Amino acid sequence: MPPKNSVVHARNRARPSFSRSILAFGAAALMAAAISACSGGSSGSGSAVKDGFTQATQSAGPLTVWVDSTRVPAAQAYQKAHPNVKLNIVTYDGDANGADTLQTKVDLYDRTGSGWPDVVFSATDNETSWGVSAGFLAPLNEGLIPQATLSNFATGSLNPCTVNGKVYCLRNDLSQVVLWYNASLMKQWGYQVPTTWPQYEQLGETVAKQHPGYLVGNAGDTFTPEIYMWASQCQANDVTGLRTVTVNVTSPDCTRMASLLDTLIKAGSMSKLSVFSTAFDKNEKGKVLMLPGPAWFGGAVFDSTSGLNVPKGQVAAAPVPQWPGTSTPSTGNVGGGTWLLSAHSAHLKEAVSFISWVTGNNAWQDELTPGFPAYVPAAKVWLANQAKSGYYAVNIDPVLQQAAGEVWPGWGYGKFSQESIWAATIDPGLTAGKTIVSMLPAWQTAITNFATSDGYQVSP
Amino acid sequence: MSPSRTTDPAGARAARRPRPVKAGHVFVAGYVILLAAFGVLPTAYGIYYAFTSTGNTFAGLSNFASAARDFRYLPAVGHVALYLVIWLTFLVLFVTGLSVVLQQLPVRRIARVARFLYYIPGALAGAAGVLVWLFMLDPTVSPAAAFLRFLGYGTFGQVIEPGHLSIRLPMIAFWTGAGGWIVVMGGALNTIPTELIEAARIDGAAGWSIARRIQIPMIRKWIVYMVILAFAGGTQLFVEPQLISAASLGVAGRDYSLTQLSYDLAFQNNNVNYASAISVELLVVSLVVAALFVTRSRFFDAS
Amino acid sequence: MQADIDAPAAVPAAAPARLRPKSRRLPSPARATGELLIGLVLVGFVVFFILPVVWLLLAATKTDPQLVSSSPLSFGSWHALRHNWDTLTSFQGDTILLWLRNSTLQASVALAITLVAGIPAGYALAMTEFRGRRALLVTTLVVMLMPTTTLVIPLFLELNAVHLIGTIWSVVLPYSFYPFGVYLTYIYFSTALPRDLLDAARIDGCTEFGAFRRIALPLAAPVVALVGFFSFVANWTNYFLPYVMLPSSNDYPVQVGIGLLLTDVPQFNPTAGTAAVLRPELALAILIAITPVFVVFLFSQRFLISGLLSGSTKG
Repeated sequence: MPPKNSVVHARNRARPSFSRSILAFGAAALMAAAISACSGGSSGSGSAVKDGFTQATQSAGPLTVWVDSTRVPAAQAYQKAHPNVKLNIVTYDGDANGADTLQTKVDLYDRTGSGWPDVVFSATDNETSWGVSAGFLAPLNEGLIPQATLSNFATGSLNPCTVNGKVYCLRNDLSQVVLWYNASLMKQWGYQVPTTWPQYEQLGETVAKQHPGYLVGNAGDTFTPEIYMWASQCQANDVTGLRTVTVNVTSPDCTRMASLLDTLIKAGSMSKLSVFSTAFDKNEKGKVLMLPGPAWFGGAVFDSTSGLNVPKGQVAAAPVPQWPGTSTPSTGNVGGGTWLLSAHSAHLKEAVSFISWVTGNNAWQDELTPGFPAYVPAAKVWLANQAKSGYYAVNIDPVLQQAAGEVWPGWGYGKFSQESIWAATIDPGLTAGKTIVSMLPAWQTAITNFATSDGYQVSP
Repeated sequence: MSPSRTTDPAGARAARRPRPVKAGHVFVAGYVILLAAFGVLPTAYGIYYAFTSTGNTFAGLSNFASAARDFRYLPAVGHVALYLVIWLTFLVLFVTGLSVVLQQLPVRRIARVARFLYYIPGALAGAAGVLVWLFMLDPTVSPAAAFLRFLGYGTFGQVIEPGHLSIRLPMIAFWTGAGGWIVVMGGALNTIPTELIEAARIDGAAGWSIARRIQIPMIRKWIVYMVILAFAGGTQLFVEPQLISAASLGVAGRDYSLTQLSYDLAFQNNNVNYASAISVELLVVSLVVAALFVTRSRFFDAS
Repeated sequence: MQADIDAPAAVPAAAPARLRPKSRRLPSPARATGELLIGLVLVGFVVFFILPVVWLLLAATKTDPQLVSSSPLSFGSWHALRHNWDTLTSFQGDTILLWLRNSTLQASVALAITLVAGIPAGYALAMTEFRGRRALLVTTLVVMLMPTTTLVIPLFLELNAVHLIGTIWSVVLPYSFYPFGVYLTYIYFSTALPRDLLDAARIDGCTEFGAFRRIALPLAAPVVALVGFFSFVANWTNYFLPYVMLPSSNDYPVQVGIGLLLTDVPQFNPTAGTAAVLRPELALAILIAITPVFVVFLFSQRFLISGLLSGSTKG
């Protein structure tokens, strides 16, 4: 082992060395400032204002398209149909599940002044909440895309894309909420499909007594508020401007739905589990009588081996129940993706052609897309194909089409995620046995907190 | 018996003193370049962000104040503090204990196999762990279902209730991290000359007193290193709550820790200044603790 | 405590007197129960660490419904395993193999640079005196403790300034900076390599480089294996850096690829549709992703244990 004097030596050197450390950091800071001055977000040089925004200098080159895995076939189909176009297809996570990939990357590209993709598919509907002020999204209705095309999108489907009258994205698919039910069981037990929420509640209580263990609904998903609260016209997410929102969850619209959910949960005919949880999978197969849910429940929950795997000919859909006295029927919406066009793109013509094709083209939309297309002509073809499969007990086309136009516009698309807020605030309480009604004030506080920290002005 | 212990004329000793300046500098040159480019520069930049606001104007401590006023800040501080206590206790106790036990095993092969098995979870960091823990913590499908039900949990939601995270998260962190440290400590223990241990054994000392009197004191520097890094890693808690949040679709673990908050502020709110302020706070706390340990254990001595 | 550290220097006959053994010879039954207890603890920990991995192994052999309904530790079928493998590799055309190749390349190149830069540096910090030695140690520690979240943006800007974004160097170079490894080397050399040896070599006229090459390096096998292994694993499991730096999914390492696969699992993302990745396939992907780590571990474990210095302290 080393003799002691080397220890003494080392200690004597202590003082000068710390000042060296400070010098090192100081020099580094200077360098850092220098780098920040040199690099920097320069907008496209030689830009011109056209079609409602400052366009970058256009040039020839490959079109960079970011898609998630499910939409890769769309991009490939486009390539096949347009062999002369050079496409650079990049797969990313689609911004699903609250990942902020797109915003993170765009922020980095903004700092360096280059690297933005031309077209992006996003699995979320709220990219406009940051993309417009970041200058990333190009307005589409000021000359890039003809109004005739835009009017072919289902009523209200372009709402998440619209800010101050300008349309900043194209909707890929709708997820309108309908009332799914098992027609065979309903017939067998002689129940009528409810058309009002009080009827629905009553049926739920009846089922709990007569056929315990069977479900008429599910309140354990993170998107539960988008099914029930949205359909009930609850003012939990009334986004009134780019950074303003009105939140009032203690109003009767909200409390009556909350208490309906509580009643049925207590009775036992509404589950507190997520439809995608293993417990639901294991215990609820064959036990689902009714299930309010979005259009994609059909394929993802009922007709899926990983889901309930209900046999052919049993599942049907009806319009979602309404509260008595509502003038316009309303339903909720759970998701749906959007196609975005970058304002920094140097290949606008090709980008517009791509984006119009993938949203409107029947060949891709009806064969390869899993969701109900937002573009009406494509939707018609998609519905026809669904009917051919013969899975459903009745023809559900009219139900889906009707619901597509009834999505309540009072629930907006903010920066903050209502699903995350519900998941973190309400779900733990549900697990612990609390009632939703008792948790409404906490929900209000949570929404207010998240909205405020995202820069929103919240009005009660 | 080395010549330096015999009487040596002072002159020879002076001549023998190596000219370390040149050689030492050459040895560290490559590392210093990497350190400057990828360590010091980004760190300085990060600190710079913490004290400025958008537009590069000096902001004093206002970023720190604003970050602290975020509604998620105080709960996160509490979470991290609690996590640290439990995590450090687990880690130091079990890693040191297991390493010593393994090292004292008479059959070396068993020790090697055990170390390998303990290490395996270390490869399941990050996204790979989401699926594993989603199933492990779900009483419906977990191999440890009987154990979970014995503890009174019927559903996944019950296992990850917010109050329970203070135990779950250190457990997951321990599961992924302990194996690596056990390997390091194993290597450390192997640097202790065997004669020492043999001598002690001859004198009748048993396992525990050998550990206490010889082994642990001699690997003191390694333990200090582990504590410093584990403390810093604990304050920067991120992966485990993020993992739980992904597995539970946001029901638990979201905005649980300060680093998660910093990440949200940086990338969701585009507020790199608040995020850096939080990072600097964590850095300062870790530095204070590290300095404490370093000075008390004379960590930097070249011996 | 300091006394305990320095005492062993005077090892030979002094030790027994210093240690003052209490001659506690445990009676045999107590010793046996002690050993049994230790055995139980060891096995208990093995179960704790390994059970989830065994589950993962078995999960890859099942179909998705089986994963939920059958017993957690039951074997599925070879047929299901085969099917999972086929579906996984057909995901965007063998992409997983491409990701593995990327990971291997990135981790190995960075590992080489780390060792070349780090081992000599750790040695010099421990065994030589030079101006700035302490500053280097302090700076390294400070940088190691800085949370990495806020380092991402400066790193990105830096690498962009030298036009490396999108190339493999944008991840390899930051990976190569591995202060943890330098510290490990520093501690290893400062505690395990006796100065006497080096002093002897210097007296014999060896240059510093010669001393390093002829004495330190041969004895450094354990720490080279240790640092090499940890560096490889850190690079292999790094998620955030490649996620930010590499724009195209074809350049992703396997860790980021797994994150991408995760977003295609219907249970995590219900709109996954036709590109759905089922959970057993994900399990298989994870197993494929972690296997190289074990191969490297087993390879380096031989060197880790073999470097006992019992021979070198004898004068």
